[in-house]
Amino acid sequence: MSAPQIGVSTRRVGGRERVTGRQRFVGDVRLDNLLHVRLVTLDCARARIVAIDTTDAERVAGVRAVLTAADLPDPMPRFGPVYADRPVLAVGETRFHGEPVAAVAAETEEAAEEAAALVRVTVEELPAVLTVERALDPDAPLVQDPCLRKGPLAQTNTLREWHFGWGDVDAASAPCVVENTYTFPMVTHFAIEPHVFLASADHDGVTVWSAIQHPYLLQSTIATLLGLPIAKVRVIAPDPGGAFGGKQHAKFEPLVAFLALRTGRPCRLALTLAQTFQAVRRTAYRVRMRTGFAADGTIRFQDVVTDGLLGAYADIGVRVISKSTYLMCGPYRVPDARVHVRALLSHTPPATAFRGFGTPQVAWAVESQMDEAARRLGIDRLAIRLRNLAHRGEEVVRGDKPADGDWHEAVHKAAEAIGWGNPLPPGRGRGIGVAIKSSATTGASYAIVRLHMDGSATVMAGTSDMGQGARTVLAQIAANELGLTTDAVQVVMGDTGVAPFDLQTSASRSTVFMGTAVAEACRDVKRQLAGMATRAFGADDVGVGNGTVAVEGRTLSFPDLLVAGFAGVRGEVIGVGSRRGEADTAHPLGGAPSFYEFNCTAVEVEVDRETGELLIVKHVSVADVGKALNPAHVEAQDEGAAIMGLGHTLMEHLIFDEHGRIVNLGALDYRIPTTKDLPLELHSLLVENEDGPGPYGAKGAGEGGLFAVSPAVAAAVTEATGAVIRELPLTAERVWRALRTEG
Amino acid sequence: MRPFSYARPASLGETFDLLDSAGPGEIRPLVGGTDLIVGLQSGRIRPDVVVDLKHLADLPAGIEQVDGRLRISAPTSLTDIIGDARIRTWFPALAEAASTVGSVQIRNRASLTGNICNASPAFDTGPALLVHDAVVLLSSRDGDRRVPVADFVLGPRRTDLRAGEIATAVELPVPETPLRASFARLTRRRGVDLATLSLCCVVGPRRTRFAFGAVAPRPFVVDDDSGVLADPSSSPEDRDEVLRAMTAQASPITDVRGGADYRQAMLLVLGRRALAAARSRPVQSQPDGAR
Repeated sequence: MSAPQIGVSTRRVGGRERVTGRQRFVGDVRLDNLLHVRLVTLDCARARIVAIDTTDAERVAGVRAVLTAADLPDPMPRFGPVYADRPVLAVGETRFHGEPVAAVAAETEEAAEEAAALVRVTVEELPAVLTVERALDPDAPLVQDPCLRKGPLAQTNTLREWHFGWGDVDAASAPCVVENTYTFPMVTHFAIEPHVFLASADHDGVTVWSAIQHPYLLQSTIATLLGLPIAKVRVIAPDPGGAFGGKQHAKFEPLVAFLALRTGRPCRLALTLAQTFQAVRRTAYRVRMRTGFAADGTIRFQDVVTDGLLGAYADIGVRVISKSTYLMCGPYRVPDARVHVRALLSHTPPATAFRGFGTPQVAWAVESQMDEAARRLGIDRLAIRLRNLAHRGEEVVRGDKPADGDWHEAVHKAAEAIGWGNPLPPGRGRGIGVAIKSSATTGASYAIVRLHMDGSATVMAGTSDMGQGARTVLAQIAANELGLTTDAVQVVMGDTGVAPFDLQTSASRSTVFMGTAVAEACRDVKRQLAGMATRAFGADDVGVGNGTVAVEGRTLSFPDLLVAGFAGVRGEVIGVGSRRGEADTAHPLGGAPSFYEFNCTAVEVEVDRETGELLIVKHVSVADVGKALNPAHVEAQDEGAAIMGLGHTLMEHLIFDEHGRIVNLGALDYRIPTTKDLPLELHSLLVENEDGPGPYGAKGAGEGGLFAVSPAVAAAVTEATGAVIRELPLTAERVWRALRTEG
Repeated sequence: MRPFSYARPASLGETFDLLDSAGPGEIRPLVGGTDLIVGLQSGRIRPDVVVDLKHLADLPAGIEQVDGRLRISAPTSLTDIIGDARIRTWFPALAEAASTVGSVQIRNRASLTGNICNASPAFDTGPALLVHDAVVLLSSRDGDRRVPVADFVLGPRRTDLRAGEIATAVELPVPETPLRASFARLTRRRGVDLATLSLCCVVGPRRTRFAFGAVAPRPFVVDDDSGVLADPSSSPEDRDEVLRAMTAQASPITDVRGGADYRQAMLLVLGRRALAAARSRPVQSQPDGAR
């Protein structure tokens, strides 16, 4: 009855449904009386909207509405998780390729498409800002209307800037100074499930369907935009078919909600894969880094200027930049640090969260610097990392949370697994990289656990299961606390009308935050059971275990106690739990990280010197997870992250033309790894010291595998060939060019 | 996507009737549809009628041997072509090339004639068809016409298909003596990708033939009659010189798949490798279990 449910690889809840096609995604939601929505977009990034003529479009049979900015409230409603800068429809000017200027709602998909093509938009194309360099150019056009923003930066394309650091870099000196510029391009999330949005309005409020990671933030966004009480907005969020950060915040839900209100009919918009490229992407970085080293490889200082290229609207990309660069020195002890960071606006699709939340961009620079220093100083690349890597309890940011794991153990494990130091066949090289990411800082998760008469339980939690296995892990925690198997636990998620508030599903926070809330709710149930036993049996000596109650020497199962306690009238015991991370306004991030996610990645790479092609012979990812509540899931998440990391390392990047259009818009020319592109060997190893803040000592996991893939692969290429590359991706052609330069 | 009507004729005769009733460019044949659907969705192809050729009683899917030629009918899937023992024996480079088209799912639908008629400069089977002197069989109410693939494909998305005609088969002459052939291609990733460049090599007793794809408006074929490439004792320098001369008429462009100079350089690298692979390939004169 009460075998432990933690640390065991129970089968994924919903896994069979996902692989057999039975899972119902948001795209499978069918509503009666539905209208289909198509967006009207322009063929360039930036243009002045001179006029929009909807006459022909409105004549198409079946068209029920052609919505333009003129049909929306004035001033245009705007939204965004940090800045309310994104308009429901473009007004006055478009700011990125794919930004809608109008939307059509019609009885059929075909009518909507035909009408969308017939909306006549008179425009004047304007020059677009597409790069870091141009965004910083004082003569460049402003991406955002200065009226939307406050302060002196409003007259520039710098949305925000930060100065992090400690000590005195100007006073610091070092015999070896490594100075380089690294770039990390825009990449897209490429979730297999494209974004789909539905909205329906009736006398009792508005319901929105979206496979969103943060249903409660969407709920309040819609409530604010429509002037409704939160209680009158319901968000139904079916489990996303992949999200990776690209489904965190509102995109076209507000537009579809306005259309539903205007037409009085439910409306549905489904993006194509190509349209998702125009909706979400990773923040591009340019990092200029000057690092001082002692002769023995000890880091003396870091002096960094980092520019993050956002799109036209801040979305959560602005937070990606600040949160990742707060750890711009990596997991190392650095005596003096100066980090200047700018978040830049551009006429490109809005940058948003992407698995790793800026850490892969930071690690690309930090770790490549470590490799270059090791080569210059003649020090082993593993040794230089171990020399500087923080031990448990040592600070990585002066005055902030110290290292909370045995990171050295993880590095040793990776080095051993990759065979660091063993002789290499010709044409091959090895690389190793480490990185840390700040986990969630503030935010709250609430859970309700209902213990039923037969002892089974329903968990109500607002987490989104986007493939990371939240349903399974939360069921395991509840089962473990209540002495059940996971088969006897139902996890109800994805409906703000049913499950209590959860801030968000991101930052690898759900196991720690929601997991704790669920465990607390179970303990609340058990406290109530103890009271029930005391009352039912008039006993003082009551002990509630996981699934059983001891009453004065007798042991009762929970159902037996419930029958006795409820005395013939059925009922259930409802437990409530929460975990809150409170704000610290003095902290640069608004609160200290609840834990660090640490990863060490090591690779062995074979380079085809003639073609530049890379073959990943062996790939090792070591994650410090505290405690793997479900080891198979943790490893699968880590492997998925490693493969995703290979994508941006080897082949992924969005390419723009001079009109700001994405040239490789779609699966044909934007390449992600296939099964044939996987490493010949891929190993995911875990460090488990039960030292995390989550239930049973767990930390978050599932992002780390991406962090250090790029620098590890690039360093392996350097070892194999001598070529040093500081821009991504490491395509065969780029490697070939670097080898030609190398001579 | 622009609306169009769909026709499913039951015979070639009915197909020709349909062709007669529509102007050129307004009608598009459908076999596998793997390129057609993409073109329809993007709006690049805007026909009035799509004619499905998969249900013609007098044009069944299949591969047959007639008069020293192997005839692959239009509705035959690439998967069936790849699996055919005669193709694998006599035209191994074609089997190899066909097995790189798209994914398993795509190859289960896609056809060889469709691959040719789509006339992409990068079409994967192009070089193999060229080295093997493949011919397209074009049928119309007025009879049949045979055009070598090398001449049929005129340039990007342009073919010698005339009004009233459909491509009904591809024919390959069965070689009198066994050939050593190989296929090579460069892609941006190992799984499912369009070719940055592709090439095919056939080594005979004296003559060596190369065909190249994705480096010119259409695939092209070049012969080495000097014997240098076929000669196992020739020096690498001499072979490179011949290969360089053979690839000189390539005119690669720079696009998202690769730079022109990279493509040009890779022609030599992959050419060397394909030559070595072809020369080391054991030849087999009769198919295993040939039917």
